[in-house]
Amino acid sequence: MFELRTRRARLVLTVICAFLVVPFAVPLYTMVSGSLQGRGIGNYTAAIQLPGFWSYFRNSIVISLATIAIVYLLTMMSSFGFSKLRIRSKELYFWLMMGALTMPEVVLLTPLVMLASKTQSAGTVWAVIIPIAALQIPFTTLLTRSYVDGIPDSLFEAARIDGAGTIRQFWNVLLPLAKPMGVAIVVLVLVNSWNAYLLPIVLLGNGEADQVVTQLPMSFKTRYTDDQPKILAGATLAALPEIIAYISLQRHFERGMAAGAIK
Amino acid sequence: MAVASATPIARRIDTRRGGGGAAGPPPPPPPPTPAGVGAAAGPPPHGPPPGIGWILPGVVLSVGLIYFCIGYTGYVSLLPWDWRPPRAQSFQGFDSYVKAFGTPLFWECLKHTAIFFVVAYVVQTIMGIVFAAILHSKVYCGVIFKILIFVPVVIAPAIMSPVHRRVFAVDGPINWILEHLGMIAVDPLGNRVWTAPVGWLLGTLGMGDVTPNWIQPSTSLLVITAVQIWSSIGMAFILFYAAMGQIDPEILEAARIDGAGGVRVLVSVVVPNLKPTIISLAILNAITALKLFDFPYLVTAGGPAHSSEFLGTYIYSELFGVSSHYGYAATMSMLLLILALAVSIIMSVASRERHRKAVTNV
Repeated sequence: MFELRTRRARLVLTVICAFLVVPFAVPLYTMVSGSLQGRGIGNYTAAIQLPGFWSYFRNSIVISLATIAIVYLLTMMSSFGFSKLRIRSKELYFWLMMGALTMPEVVLLTPLVMLASKTQSAGTVWAVIIPIAALQIPFTTLLTRSYVDGIPDSLFEAARIDGAGTIRQFWNVLLPLAKPMGVAIVVLVLVNSWNAYLLPIVLLGNGEADQVVTQLPMSFKTRYTDDQPKILAGATLAALPEIIAYISLQRHFERGMAAGAIK
Repeated sequence: MAVASATPIARRIDTRRGGGGAAGPPPPPPPPTPAGVGAAAGPPPHGPPPGIGWILPGVVLSVGLIYFCIGYTGYVSLLPWDWRPPRAQSFQGFDSYVKAFGTPLFWECLKHTAIFFVVAYVVQTIMGIVFAAILHSKVYCGVIFKILIFVPVVIAPAIMSPVHRRVFAVDGPINWILEHLGMIAVDPLGNRVWTAPVGWLLGTLGMGDVTPNWIQPSTSLLVITAVQIWSSIGMAFILFYAAMGQIDPEILEAARIDGAGGVRVLVSVVVPNLKPTIISLAILNAITALKLFDFPYLVTAGGPAHSSEFLGTYIYSELFGVSSHYGYAATMSMLLLILALAVSIIMSVASRERHRKAVTNV
């Protein structure tokens, strides 16, 4: 944007940028340096020995994968239907769905607790997977439908003339063509379900093996009563998978999250 | 451009412009479909196949579950405000709504939400544009800056909360920095106080009650706002970065030939082109402000003395706090819902409008 003709100008702007970026680094630095205070790396060994440590990660992985699978499949199916198939009063269904677009999770707490206990699913991962998926679908459908609207109808007509049924059109025409949007959905749902905090604390059990990764730092707090280094070691371990995933898949993350912002 | 790969991102996610202009050939518009022409003349023999079965699973899961929850919450909101599940149900009509509007704390929450929204939005927009402009220039180590700015977007707020508590602790890094800038001194009792010039300045500005002990009534809202800004500037940055990649380089070149300097080009040429992104960001921020829960709950617990209470934490404390009032929580949930719905409607209309203009460009 700024034209930098000399090396000196480049250097000056780089220094300005480095200065502006300092506030971003402070919490990350605090997290890592704080976690090494006192017993150093021993804080991490203590953290890993927390009973049920790995179950935090296992539950988060299960919840994220299941949510991604459900949201991906249902979003692609409904976008295909809304965009390319004949449905009576389809705009009505679409607007009903859009009504659920910005639902704050806290609004759903009482009914979800009630539903979970009625259906005997309280404390199981499904009590979290289903609501998180339900909250994601309206938005991913809005995104994907407008993407699928951009795919020419003639491609589907050609497939039909060649004898492909609706299922084959979905599988062999829509899914490959909508793949860029599919990747964005996977990233978006991954981040949202991995980072979910409110629904898991309310709907999952309190047992050692019941919780998810976002609860990890706080569980150190209750167990070690404010032992800062161990809490920060727990936060570092919990944040690490996300940082690694982002750095190795930078472009996909930036695109997916940005797609999630432009609505 | 620091990272050339962002241009395709820009083209994919930003559908508002008509493909033309940006570096590289514009994506080919779909051919003026013969099928469309045929449809105008008369429907094709079979038309598209019926598809209700395709949308049903998604509609049932999302619409079914969410609307059921809304209905249930609406029902509970009409029960007495201090109703709790095992008790017998008796309708009280809109009594608990009257109570909500008469509760000062409810208005406090709305005020906090509004202040939070304005501050977070303004700072994010300005810093997002500044970072995007700098990283579109040829600075050294651009990728490292980009990662540092965007990483906070990805890390869960709940995971970062204990870290932020540490950052703003009395003996934490913020005060360490201020101390080394000569803005804070340690008095004989070991308390941290402002040095004379800072104290005088704050006193003059009418902020004499602000002390370098951050999680306290006069500053806790500021802490929450700062923390949320930290975790969302990266998002603003990436949106502006993508939008700037769409600006025709020839326009910038023309402005430069006319003698405009870097800052002048940014303010007079680039920023007007970012208007759609600035609007998107306002909507995004309004939703974030209404939904805010993790940071206020975990960093300041809505306090001290409700000074950083938001609707989310207020409702949560009415549900699971010391004394739970399901009826009252449901009432406030309904009010929050109406606000969120208003934002949602604006958003859908704006989005469909944009897509209608440029569906072919995705």
